[in-house]
Amino acid sequence: MSETMLIFGGWVAAGLTIFLFSFLYKDNPFFKVTEHLYLGAGMGWVFQTVLFQTWKPKVWEPLQAGDWTVLIPTVLGLSLVTQFFPRISWISRYGFTFIMGYGSGLVIPLTISTDLLKQIGGTIAPFMVSEISRANIGSLINGSIVAIGFICVLFYFFFSVEHKGVVKKASNIGIYFLMLYFGAAFGNTVMGRFSLLYGRFDDLYKYSAPKYFYATHVILAALVIYFVVDHFRKKKPEIEEEAA
Amino acid sequence: MTLIKKYIPLAICFLVGLMTLASYYVPNKTSENYLEVMNKWENIVAGFAFLLGLFSLFFSHYNKIRRKVDGWGYSLFVFVGFLVMVVPALMSHGKQMDGTSLTGLGWGYRFMFNALSGTMFSVLAFYIVSTAYRAFRIKSAQAGVLFAAALVLIIGKVPLGQLMWDKLLGWTHLGVTQIVQWLMDVPVVAGRRGIMMGLAVGGIVTALKIIFGIERQYMGKD
Repeated sequence: MSETMLIFGGWVAAGLTIFLFSFLYKDNPFFKVTEHLYLGAGMGWVFQTVLFQTWKPKVWEPLQAGDWTVLIPTVLGLSLVTQFFPRISWISRYGFTFIMGYGSGLVIPLTISTDLLKQIGGTIAPFMVSEISRANIGSLINGSIVAIGFICVLFYFFFSVEHKGVVKKASNIGIYFLMLYFGAAFGNTVMGRFSLLYGRFDDLYKYSAPKYFYATHVILAALVIYFVVDHFRKKKPEIEEEAA
Repeated sequence: MTLIKKYIPLAICFLVGLMTLASYYVPNKTSENYLEVMNKWENIVAGFAFLLGLFSLFFSHYNKIRRKVDGWGYSLFVFVGFLVMVVPALMSHGKQMDGTSLTGLGWGYRFMFNALSGTMFSVLAFYIVSTAYRAFRIKSAQAGVLFAAALVLIIGKVPLGQLMWDKLLGWTHLGVTQIVQWLMDVPVVAGRRGIMMGLAVGGIVTALKIIFGIERQYMGKD
């Protein structure tokens, strides 16, 4: 790819970034254009991924090699599109029931092994004889906190008995563990978003270099000028109305 | 007609679900082959399911343009964005790199899609902070715990926070990174395990209801 296209790419990336950030000031046409562009580009990206990673290698190439069995999932898949035609939309049930049946059959063993057995195993592990014999007090204390917290959280979600007395106390302790989890999840989400933000600022800084002909500066200045002009343009009729 | 419209689809769900479930617990060559084929089939069907969303979006924006509703011009950019990604992809056969050089698709991904998705999600950082400011009114001890956990985690992950912690609480000889690690390894695990257990039980029950045809809302109305 030529250097010109890379510089042009820098201008496009800087422009799209600044236009999206402009929403933090207020809604504007540049943001709306970029928002719609993102919607289309996202769909385009997924479409080409499906085309070149699913349809071509898993449908087109097997058909060319004489493997006609792929026609079964293809017909089931195409049946989904009948959703757009109310009179024959019932045909889409064939595709949906296949997906739901396969997904349900798959999720049961995976959930049992990953979310149930491994989690219970992880809670019990610190209390195994082999672990205790190592006399690692820290591990034992931490294991006890996890086990107590885990049981208390389960009590919080257990509605078959009325929450009073010991059950209420246990479920109240469970709430504290849940709050710690939610707090940590929130903190992680914030940090994740901020790391994306640093990445965008880093790119804007990169595209502000002379190599990119100061793309960031020029676009930012142009947007500021637009907002100033737009502000006065909207203010003028208001003044005229007041005078009248 | 009820047979074709209702019972055969339910039978497909039942058979595919039960056979997939059984294949997992019967480890032999036939069941392994079955799972492999079903996985491939599911990928193909899911690929076509994407068309539902795509057509729906296109119809919606096409109608806006046709009726010339307010802001219809913006809808044109949905199609522009789509074509900007798809046309180069068709020309480069889905490849982002041609040797060491970027293809048209690679250019679109790097300078358009990456910039757009990164910025769109990073804008949320501002809204998360402003929402948190309004939401984190510490009215109870439980809300205080939530706030403290979030604060310690955020402070522990940025150099400025670590510096502040060392200056203010350095005398405790407890590093903020160690506290964050302990928080993530011990109490947070307890809370997460409880939620995961609840989700697992709910997921298994729902899956069984789908396989046995008790839950059939996804089929729509008769």
